[in-house]
Amino acid sequence: MAEKLEVQQGTLALMILRTLDVLGSLHGYGIARRIEETSKNRINLNYGTLYPALLKLEQEGFIAAEWRQSEKNRRAKFYGLTPAGKKQLAREAREWNRTADLIAAFLAPRREA
Amino acid sequence: MRLLRAAFSRLAGFFTGHRADGDLNEELQAHLEMETAENIRRGMKPDEARRQALLSSGGVTQAAEAVRAQRGLPWLENLVADLRYAVRTLRRAPAFTTVVVVTLALGIGANTAIFSVIRGVLLKPLPHRDGDRLMYLRQSADGPGADNILFSVPEVRELRDGVRSFSGVAEYSPFFGTLQEDNNATRIETGLITGNYFEVMGLSAALGRLTGPTDDGTGAAPVMVLTHEFWVRHFGADSSIVGKRVTVDGHPVSVIGVVQPAPYFPGRMDVLMNMVNSPHHLSAFMVQNRAHRMTEIVARLAPGATAAQARAQVAAIRGRVESDNRAFYDPASHYRVAVLPFKQVMGERAQLTLWLLMASAGFVLIIASANVVNLTLMRGVRRESEVVVRAALGAGVARLRRLLLVENLLLTLLGAALGIVVAIFGVRMLTALAARYSPRAGEIRLDAVVLTFTLGLSVAIALLLSFLASLPREGGFAAAIAAGGRRMSAGFGKNRLQRGLVVAQIAVSVILLAGAGLLTRTMIRLSDVRTGLKTEEVLTMPVSLLTATQLSATKPEEFMALDAAAKATYEDMRREIRALPGVVEVGLGSTMPLTSSQLHLEIKAEGQSLAPGQPVPTAELRTANPEYFRAAGIPLLEGREFTLADNMTSGRVVIINKTMADRFFPHEDPIGKRIAWTGEVLKFTGISGDWRTVVGVSGDTQDGGLDAPPVGAVFMPFAQEPVLFGGLVVRADSNVSALAGAATRIVKRLAPLTPIQNVMTVAQIKDQSVAPRRLNAELIALFGILAVVISAVGIAGVLGFSVSTRANEIGIRMSLGADSGRVQRMILGEGGRLLVTGLALGIAGAFIATSVIQGLLFGIAPHDPVTFVVVALMMAAIGIVACWIPAIRASRIDPAITMRAA
Repeated sequence: MAEKLEVQQGTLALMILRTLDVLGSLHGYGIARRIEETSKNRINLNYGTLYPALLKLEQEGFIAAEWRQSEKNRRAKFYGLTPAGKKQLAREAREWNRTADLIAAFLAPRREA
Repeated sequence: MRLLRAAFSRLAGFFTGHRADGDLNEELQAHLEMETAENIRRGMKPDEARRQALLSSGGVTQAAEAVRAQRGLPWLENLVADLRYAVRTLRRAPAFTTVVVVTLALGIGANTAIFSVIRGVLLKPLPHRDGDRLMYLRQSADGPGADNILFSVPEVRELRDGVRSFSGVAEYSPFFGTLQEDNNATRIETGLITGNYFEVMGLSAALGRLTGPTDDGTGAAPVMVLTHEFWVRHFGADSSIVGKRVTVDGHPVSVIGVVQPAPYFPGRMDVLMNMVNSPHHLSAFMVQNRAHRMTEIVARLAPGATAAQARAQVAAIRGRVESDNRAFYDPASHYRVAVLPFKQVMGERAQLTLWLLMASAGFVLIIASANVVNLTLMRGVRRESEVVVRAALGAGVARLRRLLLVENLLLTLLGAALGIVVAIFGVRMLTALAARYSPRAGEIRLDAVVLTFTLGLSVAIALLLSFLASLPREGGFAAAIAAGGRRMSAGFGKNRLQRGLVVAQIAVSVILLAGAGLLTRTMIRLSDVRTGLKTEEVLTMPVSLLTATQLSATKPEEFMALDAAAKATYEDMRREIRALPGVVEVGLGSTMPLTSSQLHLEIKAEGQSLAPGQPVPTAELRTANPEYFRAAGIPLLEGREFTLADNMTSGRVVIINKTMADRFFPHEDPIGKRIAWTGEVLKFTGISGDWRTVVGVSGDTQDGGLDAPPVGAVFMPFAQEPVLFGGLVVRADSNVSALAGAATRIVKRLAPLTPIQNVMTVAQIKDQSVAPRRLNAELIALFGILAVVISAVGIAGVLGFSVSTRANEIGIRMSLGADSGRVQRMILGEGGRLLVTGLALGIAGAFIATSVIQGLLFGIAPHDPVTFVVVALMMAAIGIVACWIPAIRASRIDPAITMRAA
């Protein structure tokens, strides 16, 4: 198995927002699962990283939380994207793409002159 | 916006943290269970499934802590925790806490109170606009009563015209008048001012208008501006008074306004009136005569000009004027004009006393803080095992330091809170003291600046205390833990700091005690000064029947009539008071015994000439009726008293005091010799320069205060001269103060429009002279005693601590055969070394410090050996007692117990 990556705060926020955008409301466990799956298990999310990030997004008003019954009839806290969160996602995604292009350009193999 | 929302949400999280914790736990548990269920679904056994779930997610507690850090304000939570911890620690040591808080409260309280006085009287900017550009001019010369001789109109004119560095020069002439309302007479302290006075002073009107250039000159209408204080005190702040007419000394005056609150120099002013209110002040007599000095002047520096430039210009003008007018400026008397900042002049008499008090209070606070450091250090050592444990559990040195800081802040802020209560009472007492020394006492407040000072002081002490305590270095913990956490360094370095502090405490106490001793002895010396009177059962009643305006009336025949009427009224008062039961004698005179009118005139003796370079002698002019000397109890040393035969038609006679007799007739009998008043000032006093025959010599009396050397005085018969100020001297067989009421009623009935004030017994006059020094001595003594108590606590504490850390060693010594006496001697020796060092340093320090207060001493040298020896013995005695307590405790140590405990 490949070495697992530590996830950075900024990227994690983007991953969470994108996950909620694709799947709609989800609880913390579901978000963690989905992120791990999407990363093909290259990322290991533990509580200490995930829940503070969720709280921070909630404080910033990008996601909202409510207590609901889960699919297995268990009480769980579900997080959903707010309109501000949707806008933030678009903005962050744009930023990220631009940064990625820029870095890619720098790291591209040198062309012979 | 986003940041704001997040911040707000965090702040809310700080307060709702407890509720949110429950939610969080449930959420994390749910997560854990879902993961466990998932693992079981994949075929794990339940136990293994849960273990794997925990492993992959990290600890629940760590996660909760991380979320909490995101939720609230971690530093604030830590602070609250520290605070809670500090409160708990201090509560566990109530004795320590009480001692520290009380000594700090006394120290901080004293400093706060004295600082508020210093700020009000010396530091605060004057309420006048650009008050630091106001200059006070003082003319003085050598000789008694010449410290401040004021200016004459020609002198003012020269300065006003010649000093370009002044943008304005205002005149004011202290004067007193009688405000006459329906059957009510009030003496009003008056400043006769030039119209530009308020403009130069930089004062504005609180009500109505102030004077201007149109109020100058003989043609102006008489107007009056009330000082704010008098307006409130006398008119109950009634604004309808502005525009009304009042009667002063029988003349109508319009009240045109009320000026903003401000201090006046040299003292209280009730009203300010333009010059036209006193015909004398605008008479040719006053305006042209260079020696007729009745005016104070204040000047404002021109924009861009400096005080140094003004001084140079004043000196240049005066140099020229003095050489042009030799007759008026006797070179041997050294006439001089000083240009002083007005603010400094206001505080000059208070300065030394106040800084002395501030320094003493500062010393007390320093040694109180030293005790806190000592006690903290000791507790620090006792708490070392605790500190090590906390460090092992992950508290870094910074966190420990912060805990200590929070603890010390708590102590000092508690001290400050109590200290402010102390200060409230202190300020009240000190304001009364300051009022004796400075016109600005009314400006003393416990205001925001003072409270900021107090707060700053407390925080500074807390910081100092926290960083003086040495914490183990970061790496040092491991060794301590290895040692079992029992005994870290009972370090020698730490001990040295403690000992140094105790030595400093003793030294400071000695200095304060020495100061207190000298001031106390000064006060005792002063109370022992003989007044020169044979009895204290004397009541003095200054009653000025003639107003200042009448006294300076220029028409001789008009004045003669007023004077004769006044003399008749005085005689009626004398007769009626004499008839009161218990009265032994009643005298009449211009000036009351033990007080001075400051009316000094130049004098000469027949057949004597001045050696060149010798200053012209002066004497105080007084009048007395035949009974005056007997009533006041002034002894007659030679010759005779005045008699009824010494009247207007008989030859001029005088009685001189002993100082005069010694000065003019040292080797001969003064009786029958002749003296005469002389000099420029004489011309406008209405007193003749005829030769007068000496018929008697009286004893000296302390007219200038108990600490002033007696000055020459010449008494003339009351009947032969103008009444001048006037007053009655009443002597009773016992309890003279009981007569004050009846005597005052008689005076009031005979002269309803004359204000009566300052009816005082001789004992009261004497006390007034001693009282400020008594308060000085009491305050410094209080600080001294406080210092001694604090250092006694310090000695006992440090030695006691030393005994407890050396219990083991002492146990070994005792089991090897040392008896309790030997152990006691060992501890006493340890304390004794500290005591001796502290005493030696203290005496050396006091030797330097007491020369500073020389100006406050009377009749005693600043290095008075008796005081120093007594102080040293006292401190030594208290120090030995303080050492004895821990020594006895040491000798009671049971070797078996201490060695087992180790």
